[in-house]
Amino acid sequence: MRRFLRDNSLGLVFGLLFLIVLAGQAFAGHADYNQRLLTEGLEPVSLGRYVTSASFGVDVAENWQSEFLQFFLFIFLTVWLVQKGSPESKSLDKVGRETAEEQKIGEYADEDSPRWARTGGLRTTLFSNSLGLVMGAIFVLSWLAQSIAGVAAYNEEQLADRQDPVSWAQYLREPDFWNRTLQNWQSELLAVASMTILAIYLRQRGSSQSKPVGSPHTATGVES
Amino acid sequence: MSIRSAAMLVASALLVLTGCGSVDERADAAASVATGLLTAVQAQDGADACAAMAPDTIAELEESAGKPCAEAVLDEDLPAPGAVTGSDVYGQWAQVRLTEDTVFLAAFPGGWRVVAAGCTPRAQRPYNCLLQGG
Repeated sequence: MRRFLRDNSLGLVFGLLFLIVLAGQAFAGHADYNQRLLTEGLEPVSLGRYVTSASFGVDVAENWQSEFLQFFLFIFLTVWLVQKGSPESKSLDKVGRETAEEQKIGEYADEDSPRWARTGGLRTTLFSNSLGLVMGAIFVLSWLAQSIAGVAAYNEEQLADRQDPVSWAQYLREPDFWNRTLQNWQSELLAVASMTILAIYLRQRGSSQSKPVGSPHTATGVES
Repeated sequence: MSIRSAAMLVASALLVLTGCGSVDERADAAASVATGLLTAVQAQDGADACAAMAPDTIAELEESAGKPCAEAVLDEDLPAPGAVTGSDVYGQWAQVRLTEDTVFLAAFPGGWRVVAAGCTPRAQRPYNCLLQGG
């Protein structure tokens, strides 16, 4: 058990932190939502009612979609784009999808390679792109969820302001939708750009995300 | 308050409180309260009309008119209750569109209550309402 926890500590700790912070967001969002209701002369709602509301849904989904977009872009773009000196980049001479031998697929698969890496055909093509595709799919679904929850939350505000609600298609053209979307995208893109560039010159001893402390600034695609 | 109005408000309260009514059921409940208010005004039943109104709306009306809600609401020239042409519910708010009026409602522990009635649209601006709270 102890060994299992140690061997999976990265995923477990981030998963646990996610749940704790999501719960924190629910409590803070609930308090904020009820403050607004009180100023509008309405009664506060229960926590259960809030976490099933469009308001909570859009706040969660707008952040999720941008995170998965970030991963999707990073995974796909790092196939062709490189950054000299960055541990986030692969070697400068490996631009592109690389050869079957380098990727250990088909006849070059190892004994312990996943079966779908060995079989060839559609399965290997799918498996070869599965990480990016799943990230991309979660991004699209989260963005869709943002738009659906977003139009409901937006319309709640519209009605509170004595204005007409809008349809989903109209909402996609509203500044509220794009403001929520783009404010998240810009922060994710800044984070990726910062990590890619700062990791050229800065080190974090022992971190998988950093080059070894003594590695030269010019060393590319080197991680601890 | 008439038995019909009381039943309507109780049904509306149950749907709002339990939160288990479907959107259609909640929209229907909001439409019932909206038409109930206009019907009561048409019938010169101020008490019944005020029972369908939100606390802030009652307070605003009494303050601006300088008399009790049951009297003041009858002076507001609210339109007759036409047919319901549409009803939307989003969270704690609802809009009911009638042939002669647009009514805004909010969810309270006692059910839907009218926060604004006698509303006419204005381009790119909030509705202008004869009756509305704060």
